[in-house]
Amino acid sequence: MFLTRSEYDRGVNTFSPEGRLFQVEYAMEAIKLGSTTVGIRTPHGVVLAVEKRVHSPLLESSSIEKIMEIDEHLGCAMSGLTADARTIIDHARVTAQNHSFTYDEKIKVESVAQAVCDLALRFGESVHDEEAMMSRPFGVALLIAGIDEVGPQLYHTDPSGTSTRYDAKAIGSGSEAAQSELQDKWHKSMTLQEAHILTLRVLKQVMEEKLDQHNVQVAQVTKEKGFEILDETSLKDVIELM
Amino acid sequence: MAAYFQAPTAYSRTALPPLAAVSAPQHLVPPSDTSGTIMAITGVGFTVIAGDARRGDAFGAYPQVRFVPTVFRLTDKAVLATNGFASDGNIFIKKVRQRLDWYRHAHAKDMSLHAIALLIQSMLYQRRFCPFYVHNILGGIEDDGSGAVYSFDEVGSYVRETCRAAGSASTMLQPFLDSQIYPKSSQPPTPGSATHLSLARVLALVMDSYKHAADRLSHDQIGDGLEVYIVLSKGTSTQGLNIEGVSEVTSIPGGERIFLLRRSLA
Repeated sequence: MFLTRSEYDRGVNTFSPEGRLFQVEYAMEAIKLGSTTVGIRTPHGVVLAVEKRVHSPLLESSSIEKIMEIDEHLGCAMSGLTADARTIIDHARVTAQNHSFTYDEKIKVESVAQAVCDLALRFGESVHDEEAMMSRPFGVALLIAGIDEVGPQLYHTDPSGTSTRYDAKAIGSGSEAAQSELQDKWHKSMTLQEAHILTLRVLKQVMEEKLDQHNVQVAQVTKEKGFEILDETSLKDVIELM
Repeated sequence: MAAYFQAPTAYSRTALPPLAAVSAPQHLVPPSDTSGTIMAITGVGFTVIAGDARRGDAFGAYPQVRFVPTVFRLTDKAVLATNGFASDGNIFIKKVRQRLDWYRHAHAKDMSLHAIALLIQSMLYQRRFCPFYVHNILGGIEDDGSGAVYSFDEVGSYVRETCRAAGSASTMLQPFLDSQIYPKSSQPPTPGSATHLSLARVLALVMDSYKHAADRLSHDQIGDGLEVYIVLSKGTSTQGLNIEGVSEVTSIPGGERIFLLRRSLA
């Protein structure tokens, strides 16, 4: 398999004769190694849930951060090389703040997804003789959740700089099984609580450990309260309802 | 403000200055005020923005021109009037329109009125130490359907008001507008719309204002054509617009509507 890819999988800005960019494809593979992340859109808001892999009993599970706030009305969950997401989220936060500074309005979810994708393709780019800012594609995919004048929305962005809108989407190692489960169970008039339960049920199916309030993280974006990460007590309540 | 009112010696200078004068500290000589008067009034569901079309300054540094518009349609719900130095005004309008296009391409919608107001503030303040010599009045319809007038100073400070006049006849027209639009002139004006005035009445006020200003002021300060833009919020009736010289300039039907009234001031 790898023999056929020799030569053309070294440079980030060289197409193979078949018209592929291998480094970008490998970056997409890195996401399939990441922990499972699920997002669901409902008419009342968007729910994000991630699996935290607590591989040692000495590890403080609260220090694993896989859901982050972009702005009051925007949050995102990640899968893959989560360290890469710091750069992306920083960019998204600056873009959102610049927008509200200049236009006195909240940025649209689609515009943030687009800003993230603009950054994703800046690898191997250099100006004149200067060093390139980024040497390789990002190894992380994001689920961006938010509410704007269009309503609640869920976007998926990947290392190829593609952004796509979904009603429900799973990424990471268990994404295939999770996605088909979402396809069966999602319906367009879900309540927020139904969405909470569905995300956790989907995660439970693909997780090796027993799901509890320490090894998952759930967040939501609602019109009333904006972005919020559920604390352990409310997470425990949802788990009991499952 | 001292720099604004300095005699424009640079224009009348014919011979080269002596060497000593070159090294002496130079005062900033502002560009000419190419004059004209702009004004805007907002009522319930409508805003009227007007400006005359004669340009030229008192020193002959700017040629007398008979038709140079100072009021510009930005979107279907926003109109910007500029006053001051005409060349700065033209470039400023060009820059604002470019930013509106960029915004439309990035976010797939037209910028709302209050967003344009804040954008204009930052565009003007970016030039804090080499300002555009323009006084802007922005008028139009907000997202909630209310009419609004925003007036700016040269470096971006702005306020939402019910009416504002700026330019050569402003000292004459602003007190007149205040008396007509704010019913209790002894109380401080509150921003909002003039709820007691119909569109027909507001249009009559605007045209009377210009007629009298043109009679009173010297020929290089006001005159020629009058352009009045009328922005109506969604669903507002066109009652009061069935007068001569009104044409619709709306670009997308179904939303806010914009009309243009042209009159001669002679």
